[in-house]
Amino acid sequence: MTIQRVGGFITLAIALQAQPYTLGQGLDINPMLNVGGYFSSDFSSKNHQEAVSLDDVAVMAYGEINPMFSYLAEIEAAGFYRKNISTGEEIGNQKFHVERLYGDLWLSDAYNLRFGKMLTPIGYWNTQPINVLRDTSSNPLYSMLLFPKFVSGVDLNGYLPGVDNVHYHLFAQKNHDLDEKYVTFPNEHFYGFSAEKELTNESSFGGSAGEYITLTHQRTRFVEANAKYDDSQWQVMSEMMFAKNDFADNDHALTLSGYAQGMYRYTQEHAFVGRYEYYNDHHTNYVDNIAVAGYSYRPCYPVSLKGEYQKHSLRDENTFLFSLSVLF
Amino acid sequence: MAFGADYSVIVSKKVSFSTVGSQEIRDVFLQKRHTIKDQKIIPINLVGQDDVRIAFESSVLGMDRDRLNTYWVKQHFAGINPPVTQPSYESIKSFIQNVDGAIGYIPSKMVDNNVKVVYEF
Repeated sequence: MTIQRVGGFITLAIALQAQPYTLGQGLDINPMLNVGGYFSSDFSSKNHQEAVSLDDVAVMAYGEINPMFSYLAEIEAAGFYRKNISTGEEIGNQKFHVERLYGDLWLSDAYNLRFGKMLTPIGYWNTQPINVLRDTSSNPLYSMLLFPKFVSGVDLNGYLPGVDNVHYHLFAQKNHDLDEKYVTFPNEHFYGFSAEKELTNESSFGGSAGEYITLTHQRTRFVEANAKYDDSQWQVMSEMMFAKNDFADNDHALTLSGYAQGMYRYTQEHAFVGRYEYYNDHHTNYVDNIAVAGYSYRPCYPVSLKGEYQKHSLRDENTFLFSLSVLF
Repeated sequence: MAFGADYSVIVSKKVSFSTVGSQEIRDVFLQKRHTIKDQKIIPINLVGQDDVRIAFESSVLGMDRDRLNTYWVKQHFAGINPPVTQPSYESIKSFIQNVDGAIGYIPSKMVDNNVKVVYEF
């Protein structure tokens, strides 16, 4: 899909707008159509290479067709524009691909059937993966390197009947991804489940487990655990994941990764963030300890300016990262 | 029911349940759940920043306005909208009288026999 068509789509949505617009909550045209989008741009300095980029340009639409059926569609051009300041090299991708496309068939609070291409419902970072919703510009490595970002299949989800405030997901994929452009591990086999227990309005914990087989015949089984506390001033969260990889050449290896992150909001707009992360891939002997110190400024929540410094135990990986991101 | 509190959460008289807990109200107004005791629920908010809405959000939802805005921005990315709004207490009351499963809040002094109080704050 070209950028001209996307622009036409946005123009049409604005022309049809029926409700007052609130930044970060989309154009609420009617119950069947809300249109939004987001982008992020960043500046990075790593190993004497500096670069600026406009990334994650996306348009999304969703709505409720009737009380039982709703949908969401999102197209995205990742890596929209990037310039290496040090070398002058410019690259870009203005072609949009399907990021998410799914329907929800609501049967009850215990049983909602989602079908299509969706974010894998694992952990905190993968379910809110876009820059503007994060409190650091970077993601922990576990959320990018250990399981597929998307499921193209079905996800049965809801609140476990008879159990207080436990939300579950059972998901399955037994086919090609709907659009493999931004899929981290192209596969035809991905099964898993996750559950989250809400202890109080501020605290929760959960976990997940699953298995996938990539198109290159690598089988990975993983388990993950997470916990989070979030009030108006403090947020503390931690996750860890353990993955066992069986490779096509009969080799086996383990990967262990986890992080702990704390954030202090000293006003609604300003916050300090610190994170320690560990990543250990026994197959490639890639071992890294990463300390991240960051600052977040949000003049309003859907507009995020962030800066961070990453200190890696691996040489030449230390990075300065600054970003501006907006959700429409 | 005695109207001891300033504000009341009300539903249609046709709804089978008589009381609900604050957690149930919170879950439907945050669009986490869509039923209470097997009844499909339509939460109704008062439009704008009225004191009653702020009191409801603070004492029943347990969230201040900034935190609630953050919540709805995150829900927007997930494809979930805030509850629909009505422009006045009168329209909230009228909507609830006419739509089974609608739930909203009004000053307790406006409660009459046409609606059922299920929670007070």
